[in-house]
Amino acid sequence: MYGLEVKNVCKTFGSKRVVDKVSFRAEGGQILGFLGPNGAGKTTTIRMIMGIIAADEGEIKYFTDSGQKNGIPSESIGYLPEERGLYKEARVMNVLQFLAGLKNVPRSTVKERAVVWLKRFDLSDYAHAKVEELSKGMLQKVQFVASVLHQPQIIILDEPFSGLDPVSQDMFKAILRDLAQDGAAILLSSHQMNILEELCDRIYLIHEGKEVFNGTLQEVKEKYGNYRVNLTLSRPDGVEKLLSTPIIREYHKINETRYMISLEDGVVPGEFLSSIDKQLPVQELSLARSSLHDIFVRIALGGVENE
Amino acid sequence: MNKTMKIIQWEVMRNLRNKQFIIGLLITPVIILLFAGVPKILERFDKPVVHKYLVIDEIDILESVSESIPIENLILDRYEGEREEVSAEVTERGFTGYVILPANFWEAGSIEINYKERNQIGERVLQSLLSGYLQQHRMQEFEVDAAELQYLTANVELDLKPLEEAVVPQVNEIIVSAVFLMLIFYLIFSSGSMLMQSSLQERRDRMAEIMLSSVRANQLMSGKIVGQFLLGMMQLFFWIAISIPAVIYFLDFPVMQALAETNLLVIGLFGLFGYLLFSSMFVSMGATMEDMQSAGNSQGLVMLIPLLSMLFLTPVISNPNGVVSRFASIFPITSPFLMVLRNAITQVPVWEIILSFSLLFLSALLVIRLAGKIFRIGMLMYGKTATIGEIFHWLKYKEE
Repeated sequence: MYGLEVKNVCKTFGSKRVVDKVSFRAEGGQILGFLGPNGAGKTTTIRMIMGIIAADEGEIKYFTDSGQKNGIPSESIGYLPEERGLYKEARVMNVLQFLAGLKNVPRSTVKERAVVWLKRFDLSDYAHAKVEELSKGMLQKVQFVASVLHQPQIIILDEPFSGLDPVSQDMFKAILRDLAQDGAAILLSSHQMNILEELCDRIYLIHEGKEVFNGTLQEVKEKYGNYRVNLTLSRPDGVEKLLSTPIIREYHKINETRYMISLEDGVVPGEFLSSIDKQLPVQELSLARSSLHDIFVRIALGGVENE
Repeated sequence: MNKTMKIIQWEVMRNLRNKQFIIGLLITPVIILLFAGVPKILERFDKPVVHKYLVIDEIDILESVSESIPIENLILDRYEGEREEVSAEVTERGFTGYVILPANFWEAGSIEINYKERNQIGERVLQSLLSGYLQQHRMQEFEVDAAELQYLTANVELDLKPLEEAVVPQVNEIIVSAVFLMLIFYLIFSSGSMLMQSSLQERRDRMAEIMLSSVRANQLMSGKIVGQFLLGMMQLFFWIAISIPAVIYFLDFPVMQALAETNLLVIGLFGLFGYLLFSSMFVSMGATMEDMQSAGNSQGLVMLIPLLSMLFLTPVISNPNGVVSRFASIFPITSPFLMVLRNAITQVPVWEIILSFSLLFLSALLVIRLAGKIFRIGMLMYGKTATIGEIFHWLKYKEE
């Protein structure tokens, strides 16, 4: 079992503490969703994990079955940053060989692996093309290949899906699942909540440099994901009593007969259903947990800061 | 192979595969040859205009005068036709004019030059040549011996003897040092701008973060500096290899002897550390800029720092042991160029060379350290060119 452990890590720039006692574990075989609003401290945390900048306090450890050590060896970690590019005038295979060479992979091995990866992404014909000849999507695939070519045990991906078409997104999702299945610990930072919901085993939520939540997707939903109700009536009568009950946090009136209702935290479906008057002309009713997207928006707006 | 070596290799190979670099490598000697060679070739074609005069010689000295003319483009041709037609003959044959050496020349001491166009050089030559004939003729009249005349009118001869052999400037050493100075200057500016572009490009191509996740900032920076140094040296060696045979063949200059007479160790050490000092400044400034247009602002001014030496060029050449020259050859920003120059022109005390080199060495280490900080932080600041205030602020960050 490989993994990454971040323990009470802090970073201050000038007088501003941008990362404050952040702690989490990313274990082999799992995908950890690392999310938070813009400016929450994600990139700074990732840069500290990568050793690009040093933490002021706390520890970043790499653990294996045989023990653990401070800092992560460059060869054991792959990184796809949000701000990413490649040398425009260089050729794809040369760049891949250079970058994997910096991770101490022998040239011949790089070539063998690069051929397999490029084929998987349908880029075999572009192995010797100049980087500037690639489309944005192709470039992103090559960048991804560069970050995993040395077969790292820990993979950090910052917004890997931005700019990809739905077909390519599905391809990426499948590859990430495969990499996790092969034992890699993946830290995935993205603002595409639907993809995180699909892929992640665990979620780490950060806001203004501090941990907001650390747990499984189910746990986050249980903690912050109140229920949402879509209600359609056959005629616009008698709904006022229901809407004024204290178990309803807020509601939006979409038209005369349609309502979107948000229940207070901790209110279970049965409680809501029993509060409905039998005479209410319900035509349609659906009830579901809030999505990760809704939870994220609440956090970004500061709604769960002190909860 | 360690990571710095891999970056050096990448920088070198990336440029060697770059068409612009190869074209520059091959085209530069061609351009230099053109600039140096074309005037020489033009000179050959551009022969001076030949001035021809018809001469009416009434004292019969033309043959002797013609033989003594010291320039090639003055030709005197005897005229024996009618006096009234001489002007027409000049026009017809395209001559410059006609000259009358009159029968009373020895008494009057004057000749007549009738010209279609003035030819001042030819006129002076004729004047001086005929003055000699006139003086000789008149000396014979006064029975003065030619040897006596020479004795009476002799010039004082200066016998120059140096007190110390070393004070005499070694021309060969000055030439070789000047050539090396130009090469070092070229190396610093060409590699400097390549370095600035290289870190700027890394930032622009958003490679900085990917690179810094695999190598330390110092490894990346030193890899770039050494890589560009090697490329610069390759260029210089290529050009030197081409030019040495050319210099030996065309200029008859004793290249090997001159190299042996020059203090190459001083040139090498000052050149190398001068390069390190300036190139680390350039590479770190490149890391603070978003695009080449920003090079026009304050960061671009850094490119001008090596030019400070130019201010001291005249004082060092005219008074190499004066206070200004000594300061300029010890001050670390100007010493890489001016110590080399001063050492070629005059005998610099060994302690001054050691002091100057020590200061340069320490300054280079300090600047590399500061540049490393700017480089590391600058490379990760995307989307804008840093202000001078921000750069000074970065310098205060503690080492990580």
